[in-house]
Amino acid sequence: MAEQTMAGRALALPQSIGRRALWQRRHLFERLQPYLYLLPVIITLGIWIYWPLVRTVYLSFFQWNLLPTTPMIYVGWENYRRILGLPEMQQAIRNTVVYTLGIMPLSVIIPLIVALFTDNIGKRWRNLYRGLIFIPMLIAPVVVSIIWRWLLNPTVGIVNYALTGGTFAEPINFFRGETIAIWTIIGITGWKLVGFSTLIFSAAITNINRDYIEAASIDGANYRQIVRSIILPLLSPTVLLLVMLSVLLVSQWSFAYINVLTQGGPLGATTNVYYILYTYGFRTFAIGWSSAAAVILFITFGLLAAGLLSLINRYSFYDS
Amino acid sequence: MRARRRVSTTSTLTGHLLLVILIVIAIFPVYWMVATSFKAANALFQISLWPVNPTSENYRFVWENLPFGLMLGNTVAMASLQMISQLLTALLAAYAFARWKFWGSRLIFALIALTWLVPFQVTMIPNYVLLSRLGWLNTLYGLVIPHIASAFSVLLLFQNIKAFPTELIDSSRIDGATSWGTLWRVVIPNLRSPLAALGILLFISAWNEYFWPLLVMTKPERSVIQIGLQMFLTEQGDLWGPLMAAATMATLPIFVLYVILQRQVIDSFVKSGLR
Repeated sequence: MAEQTMAGRALALPQSIGRRALWQRRHLFERLQPYLYLLPVIITLGIWIYWPLVRTVYLSFFQWNLLPTTPMIYVGWENYRRILGLPEMQQAIRNTVVYTLGIMPLSVIIPLIVALFTDNIGKRWRNLYRGLIFIPMLIAPVVVSIIWRWLLNPTVGIVNYALTGGTFAEPINFFRGETIAIWTIIGITGWKLVGFSTLIFSAAITNINRDYIEAASIDGANYRQIVRSIILPLLSPTVLLLVMLSVLLVSQWSFAYINVLTQGGPLGATTNVYYILYTYGFRTFAIGWSSAAAVILFITFGLLAAGLLSLINRYSFYDS
Repeated sequence: MRARRRVSTTSTLTGHLLLVILIVIAIFPVYWMVATSFKAANALFQISLWPVNPTSENYRFVWENLPFGLMLGNTVAMASLQMISQLLTALLAAYAFARWKFWGSRLIFALIALTWLVPFQVTMIPNYVLLSRLGWLNTLYGLVIPHIASAFSVLLLFQNIKAFPTELIDSSRIDGATSWGTLWRVVIPNLRSPLAALGILLFISAWNEYFWPLLVMTKPERSVIQIGLQMFLTEQGDLWGPLMAAATMATLPIFVLYVILQRQVIDSFVKSGLR
């Protein structure tokens, strides 16, 4: 008996060590698991977003023309100094502000008004309207550009036909007129967005607790008062969200229309910061300038986004 | 009571009117594209609201003069691959965040979410350089691989997984299922509708993608439909009939998807608040 147990112990000892090592290994695997699941996303974003960000900052201190055979020349802060002094860059920055503010009526104000007026429309109608109003959002930017180039054509387009009463005498040149061109691009960008924003506001209004409105109307408040003191405050996070989307994305979204329809012209009148980045990078191959501009742009928009996000957080306490 | 009812009727009418105006503005340009595509070349400049003698000659012209079928095929391949890979990577990541508490999870989550704020134009040059070093310019890899993960998909799926009852995952864990088994047998079946919605959204945005293909694809026969359209526009900008036919054909697959899955498409776009 004693011998047996001794033998058993002698055998059991290494076995328990083995089991323990196995257990530890499994424990390690357990702990590593979440990282393994995250690996594809981490690797992709690391290679295609974070690493290029670092590279862009690096390239912004060099002079280079994208050819692998030409050497990169270190120039320090020269690129930053140069691009901020360029008149075309200043024009692009001014235009970016015009784009951002000019889109607000189409991406925020009109959709908000329409959503407020259509809140009490019956469900069946609302679904039909929703389905139709959403269509521009689905259409590719290139197709949108082609459609509007045809509609707004100065010699055969239906818009000028209507404006000139069918004569095409003194048509409006929507894409080449120096003051109107940027508004044409803003209008096209807004055309694609307006239905989408309306749907977001409608969804937000539908989500408001009906009890508040009921209580206010029992207390004798009229619809305008309800809108002003209940609906609008509760909608403020949604308004801020759409403002943020407009600020961050509209200049990016207008890129396709600018590239297909005006190439930034006439005389740089429709160029914005994103478009000028592209032309420096892939038309004139001024990689240093493009990278320096990208760094400035990224920091500016990052700060704007941080500010707007903190505003959204401050206002969302209404919604409990 | 009576007065209030009358007020609400007029405001309902105003609502209908506003919406009808907005819808006409939204729909007419699209209608005009389709209508023009069926007009014969000599009927193009007679302004009539619908094609009087509809013809398919514009469509025939496009098929004969452009590698249209090839480009459609490329676009379908690109959009499907991008959709499937992004769904998969996002699902794995969202599941990891929802199931485990682990060291660094908040930091990793923040780093993923922050990429949403990086505009494409800021990273385009280094990405282009990397792609050309890898020899992936003018290839499907070059189009798809930089886009196989996105912050947006991870965040959206994370919200959805977090929203369903924890008992589901917990009970499966007690039953001794591995995390991988739980993912396929418990999580995915309960996540079908958000996955479908996200999938549609990703497919449509990949289909409509313009900027990255513009940089990566320079050969028309290898290219996707959006770039093909733009080349056609620069070469034959005044052939309005064929141009509208090509634009209509490039949009048709999206319209078909939309007609079949309208409710899901709208919901996914509205929930995303993006693109």
